[in-house]
Amino acid sequence: YSSPVYSLPHNEGRALMSIKASFSNVANVLLDWDDDHNHDFCSWRGVFCDNVSLSVAALNLSNLNLGGEISPSIGDLRNLQSIDFQGNKLTGQIPDEIGNCGLLVHLDLSDNLLYGDIPFTVSKLKQLEFLNMKNNQLTGPIPSTLTQIPNLKTLDLARNQLTGEIPRLIYWNEVLQYLGLRGNFLTGSLSSDMCQLTGLWYFDVRGNNLTGSIPDSIGNCTSFEILDISYNQISGEIPYNIGFLQVATLSLQGNRLTGKIPDVIGLMQALAVLDLSENELDGPIPPILGNLSYTGKLYLHGNKLTGPIPPELGNMSKLSYLQLNDNQLVGTIPSELGKLDQLFELNLANNYLEGPIPHNISSCTALNQFNVHGNNLNGSIPLGFQNLESLTYLNLSANNFKGRIPVELGRIVNLDTLDLSCNHFLGPVPASIGDLEHLLSLNLSNNQLVGPLPAEFGNLRSVQMIDMSFNNLSGSIPMELGLLQNIISLILNNNHFQGKIPDRLTNCFSLANLNLSYNNLSGILPPMKNFSRFEPNSFIGNPLLCGNWLGSICGPYMEK
Amino acid sequence: WIGDRKSLVGPGSSPPTCLAKCGRCGPCEPVHVPIQPGLSLPLEYYPEAWRCKCGNKLFMP
Repeated sequence: YSSPVYSLPHNEGRALMSIKASFSNVANVLLDWDDDHNHDFCSWRGVFCDNVSLSVAALNLSNLNLGGEISPSIGDLRNLQSIDFQGNKLTGQIPDEIGNCGLLVHLDLSDNLLYGDIPFTVSKLKQLEFLNMKNNQLTGPIPSTLTQIPNLKTLDLARNQLTGEIPRLIYWNEVLQYLGLRGNFLTGSLSSDMCQLTGLWYFDVRGNNLTGSIPDSIGNCTSFEILDISYNQISGEIPYNIGFLQVATLSLQGNRLTGKIPDVIGLMQALAVLDLSENELDGPIPPILGNLSYTGKLYLHGNKLTGPIPPELGNMSKLSYLQLNDNQLVGTIPSELGKLDQLFELNLANNYLEGPIPHNISSCTALNQFNVHGNNLNGSIPLGFQNLESLTYLNLSANNFKGRIPVELGRIVNLDTLDLSCNHFLGPVPASIGDLEHLLSLNLSNNQLVGPLPAEFGNLRSVQMIDMSFNNLSGSIPMELGLLQNIISLILNNNHFQGKIPDRLTNCFSLANLNLSYNNLSGILPPMKNFSRFEPNSFIGNPLLCGNWLGSICGPYMEK
Repeated sequence: WIGDRKSLVGPGSSPPTCLAKCGRCGPCEPVHVPIQPGLSLPLEYYPEAWRCKCGNKLFMP
């Protein structure tokens, strides 16, 4: 039943005034809440009355920057069906009296600073369908009495400081559709009872302290569309029965799962997102994962996966994110990955991959980020890379790449990071690198590059970091580097640079980290005052350079 | 029964077919839709679910 409870209108006006009184920051937003000058509280901001009974049916005070507390007088508004206080700065505890609003259907207190326990009296709200208290500072347990709310469809308690176990009774609710518990301190294990939630589509316990294993019966949770149990301490193997799930998102990352990736996952074609990263999974990547032709995101990074990258992954035609980094993968990069024309990010870093980068990778024209750092790859940079116009991040560092740096790299104009460090690149630094006007970080260190530093580097107007150290570069430091107004780190040590340090370098006001040590620089340091902020370590190992450090040709007299 | 994604004859799943799920609107196609679970760090991806899409309207599968 939901017949209105009789309550005198002037009592409701008084209740509203005491609710206002316990708020702060009301000056501008609740100006019309004033029963001396306006008795018609049904016209007050955020107050909505029932047409017949003229009593308050809804209070919508969301996003008004209100501070202070929720007054216990809220319990005097017996005909309230909806409270929306979302997005304020309300603090204090949720008053027990809220349980007196017996007709409440919708209760949203999310995005506030409320603390203390969730009052047990909430379970008296038998009409409640929507309960959202996420993003507060609530502590204590999830009251098991919440299970006494027969029509609860949405329960969102995410991002609080709730402790204790998830009450098992909560799982015996055929009506519940949305269970959001992410970002609390919940303990205990997942119960096989969770699949009694036969109407649930969203199950999210990400970022708690749950332990134990994934229940074998998980496959019975057939109504789930999203299953997110990531960032807990769940251990054991991924059960075979997971293959019975109909989920679009399966997030198991950041746990302690062991054993192999079960082949059955390759049959879960409804998967849009599969994230098994940051676990302790071993064994090979099952080639049958290539069957997942509707999956857009595949994250397997941060495990102990061995064996090769299956060429079958090239059949995942909808794939936009593929992260296999930080495993123990061997073999070559399959050229079949070139078929992934929607691929946005490819991260294969920190494995044991060898051989060259297949030319076909240049066909992944949607590619934005390409990272193969820390493998044993060899060969040269495929010339086709110049066609990857969307590329913003290119990291080939710490491999065995050789050959020249192609002039054509200068055509990938959207690059913000170019890292070719710790390889065997030789020959000159192409002047075309200076065309990469969006570049933020350029690292060509630890190669065998020769010749001068191109004056065109002065065109890198956004660049914050240039590292050319440990090469065989020579010539003078171009004065055009003085044009770099955003540069923070300029690392040129261990080369053969000669001549004077250009005075114009003192125009780089954001420069905080300068290393010119171990070159053949000569002359005196730029006399400008701001250059004295650099320690002698920035300049040592230049025998002909004059500066104020011990051992310099014109340095302070060495005391005995 | 064959092709019914809820049938439990064996493991595995497939995207919704979206047949007659968009009312009178057509064509009705299955799409991935991000579900935003409240305040999320920018680096976190959103979980995704399947919905049926016609024009710029979404329908439950």
